[in-house]
Amino acid sequence: MKVIFKIWRQEGPNEKGTIRDYEVDGLNEDMSFLEALDHLNELLVLKNEKVIAFEYDCREGICGQCGVFINGRAHGPHDNITTCQLHMRSFKDGDTIVVEPWRAASFPVIKDLIVDRSALDRIIEQGAFITAKTGTAPEANSILIPKETADRAMDAAACIGCGACVATCKNSSAALFTAAKINHFNSLPQGKAEEHKRVAEMMFQMEIEGFGSCTFTGACEVECPESISITNIAEMNARYVKSKLLK
Amino acid sequence: MNSLFFRKMVVALTGLFLCTFLIVHLSANFILLLPESMARELYNSYSTTLRESPLIKIIAYVLYAAILLHAFYALLITLRNRKAKPEKYVVNHSNENSTWTSQNMGLIGTIILLFLVLHLANFWARIKLGIGEEVGLDALGNRDVYEVAYTLFHNIYYVIFYTLISIPLGLHLHHGLKSAFKSLGFYHKKGLQLLAKVSVIYAVIMGVGFGIIPIIVYFK
Ligand code: HEM
Ligand code: FES
Repeated sequence: MKVIFKIWRQEGPNEKGTIRDYEVDGLNEDMSFLEALDHLNELLVLKNEKVIAFEYDCREGICGQCGVFINGRAHGPHDNITTCQLHMRSFKDGDTIVVEPWRAASFPVIKDLIVDRSALDRIIEQGAFITAKTGTAPEANSILIPKETADRAMDAAACIGCGACVATCKNSSAALFTAAKINHFNSLPQGKAEEHKRVAEMMFQMEIEGFGSCTFTGACEVECPESISITNIAEMNARYVKSKLLK
Repeated sequence: MNSLFFRKMVVALTGLFLCTFLIVHLSANFILLLPESMARELYNSYSTTLRESPLIKIIAYVLYAAILLHAFYALLITLRNRKAKPEKYVVNHSNENSTWTSQNMGLIGTIILLFLVLHLANFWARIKLGIGEEVGLDALGNRDVYEVAYTLFHNIYYVIFYTLISIPLGLHLHHGLKSAFKSLGFYHKKGLQLLAKVSVIYAVIMGVGFGIIPIIVYFK
């Protein structure tokens, strides 16, 4: 299998980047997309050229490190998967594949396809935790949580922080990410004590990091590898209003 | 008070107010579709009643404020959102994950705003401000607003323009109605599914309703 990669190359944060073409032969459709990039990098090493910088860790869809924009979609042509779960069988022999880094003012490019997503970490630092020292894990049934509540919290907690929501959003809004973190904690009894402070401070951080505001285009929930529903954003808004009224 | 959230609340609340206004506005304009013998006097006396009611006077000022606030804060949001994505993708298939309308509310809104300027010049300026050609009186002594609409919609260019503008209006309302509820924090899943359907129905009624009136009046 042969494809033409058109890949964004950028030496560093302050350098000018550009799309470069690479014709790559010797691929097969069972390769994952990242393996195809590995293959290309091996060829570049043999030619004594600089390898393409891209991020990954688990390569099984759980760590959230691997996102890139592939042929006009976050994490490639399929809905709700990570880049590492994409395989070359999703492309045809001879295809042109354009690969770009996440684009957002709050995600500056570090090198090639790698962006700095620490803005998301700083949102987490504002309240995606509980301050109480809980010691070792307590007996699971000592706090009773209805199944439905636990499920909702778990669905939100599934967020792996890959940044696809920000990348795909035309406003570079981090609302889906922030909402997932807030709803995860605020819907559980352990998170209740600090619920109003959490929502106010995390949403404030989201704003000062330079993310745009949500206009409900719905792109985020289509690209989210964890299928986190956009209703989480509406729920976050409700929590925010509540936090202002009860302050 | 200048937070992004506050701005969204203003856009959502004024948007919903405008949506409510449009229902009343369209209902009244359907009078124009009645046979002329009934329509003229009914429309003119309705118009006079509105103009003279103190309550409606207040609501009219709220309406002007709502339009200005909506457009102003929507503009702020749109500019800030653009700034949040300074570099665009070389290839972006956004149509595969979201509708064109939802991606272009600012553009569509601007088209509607330009229309509103002309629309107010056509009616409001002549009837309320007395600018331009004087508006006559009908048999009952009411200002002949019917005649203003009737003459306007016998100009084919106005008919085409007013009818075409109902397309962006319908699109704006379709996305705007459901988006406003979510912005305000309505997150009930079943309710949102229903809301999505209601938004389609509302947008179609408004779009087709406003779009068809000029055509029917033209052939009267
Ligand atoms: C008939 C008049 C109008 C009605 C009924 C209306 C209604 C609405 C509604 C309900 C929303 C949703 C608010 C939300 O998502 O929270 C909205 C959004 C918006 N409107 Fe309007 N609107 C009207 C006119 C205008 C005009 C004249 C502009 C011109 C600048 C405009 C620009 C916008 C923009 C940019 C948004 C999107 C804001 C966002 O993306 O969240 N609208 N509109
Ligand atoms: S590498 Fe871990 S999610 Fe893709």
